[in-house]
Amino acid sequence: MSHRLSKTALSIIMALVLVGMLFPLIYMLLTSLKEITSLSGLRLFSVSEFSFKNYIDMFSRGGITGFVFNSAFVAVIVTVGNIIFCLMSGYALARKRFFGNKLLFISATAVLMIPQHVVIIPVYILVSKLGMHNTYWALILPWLVNPLGIFLMRQYISNLPDDCEQAARIDGAGEFRILFQIVMPLCKPALAVLAIQVFLTNWNSFLYPFILTSSPELYTLPVGLAMMQGLQQINLGQLMAGSTIAALPVIVVFLLFQRQITEGITAGAVKG
Amino acid sequence: MKKYNTLIFISPWLLTLMVFWAFPVIYSLGLSFTNYTIFGETSFVGITNFIRLFSDPSFLQALKNTSFFVFGTIPFTTIIALILAVLIAEKIPGHRIFQAGYFIPSITSMVVIALIFSSLYARDGYLHLLGNIIGIEVPENGYLFSTKTALPAIMVMDIWVAIGYYVLLFLAGIKSIPIEIYEAAKLDGARFWRRLFSVTIPQITPILLFVLVINTIRSFQVFVEIYVMTKGGPLGSTSTVVYFVFDEGLQKFNMGYASAAAYLLFVIILGFSLLQMKLLSRKGMTS
Repeated sequence: MSHRLSKTALSIIMALVLVGMLFPLIYMLLTSLKEITSLSGLRLFSVSEFSFKNYIDMFSRGGITGFVFNSAFVAVIVTVGNIIFCLMSGYALARKRFFGNKLLFISATAVLMIPQHVVIIPVYILVSKLGMHNTYWALILPWLVNPLGIFLMRQYISNLPDDCEQAARIDGAGEFRILFQIVMPLCKPALAVLAIQVFLTNWNSFLYPFILTSSPELYTLPVGLAMMQGLQQINLGQLMAGSTIAALPVIVVFLLFQRQITEGITAGAVKG
Repeated sequence: MKKYNTLIFISPWLLTLMVFWAFPVIYSLGLSFTNYTIFGETSFVGITNFIRLFSDPSFLQALKNTSFFVFGTIPFTTIIALILAVLIAEKIPGHRIFQAGYFIPSITSMVVIALIFSSLYARDGYLHLLGNIIGIEVPENGYLFSTKTALPAIMVMDIWVAIGYYVLLFLAGIKSIPIEIYEAAKLDGARFWRRLFSVTIPQITPILLFVLVINTIRSFQVFVEIYVMTKGGPLGSTSTVVYFVFDEGLQKFNMGYASAAAYLLFVIILGFSLLQMKLLSRKGMTS
């Protein structure tokens, strides 16, 4: 009895912590639905004052439509790129013996240890010299394949039986056909983990889009929002509406694919 | 033909690795010994940049702020996350909801989080009002406009945002502990606290190490929230090393000098990561 009681008490404490964890996001959502900008006390929660005016303003003024498009466009292309390229690299590392196989695998792990800040200046110079600064190329090209994805795919493919591949090879199927028609379907669970993680990382990404673009036409949503802050013509409700547009898809994706996201995050930690 | 296929398969990673990782890391080291700016002439200056850094008050302040940030957040983040993970693992009613709910802030864009907290910390924002209610000394214009409170305010936000991510990692570690060990401990009459310190914590040492290392790497690089919330101000009180690198390198275009600062931080991060690995792996062996 006392055991159950203490568990209930714990639940209540944990629920209070949960409220604390979610309050800032609830605040964002509620503020985005209010036209008045100075909120005080419980007025934040009054349902009768809800309106979508801030959202309409954000879209009708043009800016944010482009930001949303850029974020979605870049994230989708980068995700597709990672599905193809991490699969290819992971497959080669898992199945092929070639000079430098091990070294290449280690390189993927080593890259994860390199702090991003060390490469921002050289990448900025490189991208500028290549004439890609302030283009979609700068937002896409460096991210089409990522070390964590290679690690994930290599581990997953290593654990698959290779009977079907061998059979197909005897039947004369080419390597590309074996990879995309036989291995790829078997890798669906790992590819789902990879795709979700890459999409979310890119959708949220700030540092690189911020330093590699300089005109609003190319801003992604996080960069656009950071730039809008402090502008005279943007009020808090509108800024929070923009923030909600950035945050809500991520939260929805998380609630739908919680298992895959958890797996993607813990894969490196537990196995590595 | 077969070899040729393998080369095609690995070429995307090989190219990315060379062009966007290996080359920049080496190039950056080279830059740090020059006075490179994107315009004008470049010459080799030896270790002048590094010497200059140690007499540059704005760099020293950034380094001090960064250290304060790292050592002021990591213990809290780690301990709070560990406690929450242990409690969730006890399968108290609602544990699934708690696990999911705690995690949500950490997958939300840092820009969004920073914008929300800027408003909560501002004059008459909810956290400003809360400070008044619970009676802590509150700067009149909001937390972010006082040299005393700006950095701690950002640190509190960072602890809040990161907890859920580490809860998840700790939970994965706890779930991978063989259930037999717990059963044996229970049979021996070990209570909750005893099980925590004698079973759970020793068993998750590898995860604890991983958490400390990645949190150190991440925290030393704090930038986004600084840029969005304070731009290093007021009076440099929230400037961090990466903010300094950004400001010197990409706003003032002193790229050689900024690269030296970036590399110095790289070495510091590497040093701390190695130290943590060494300390914790030794501790793991004795227990």
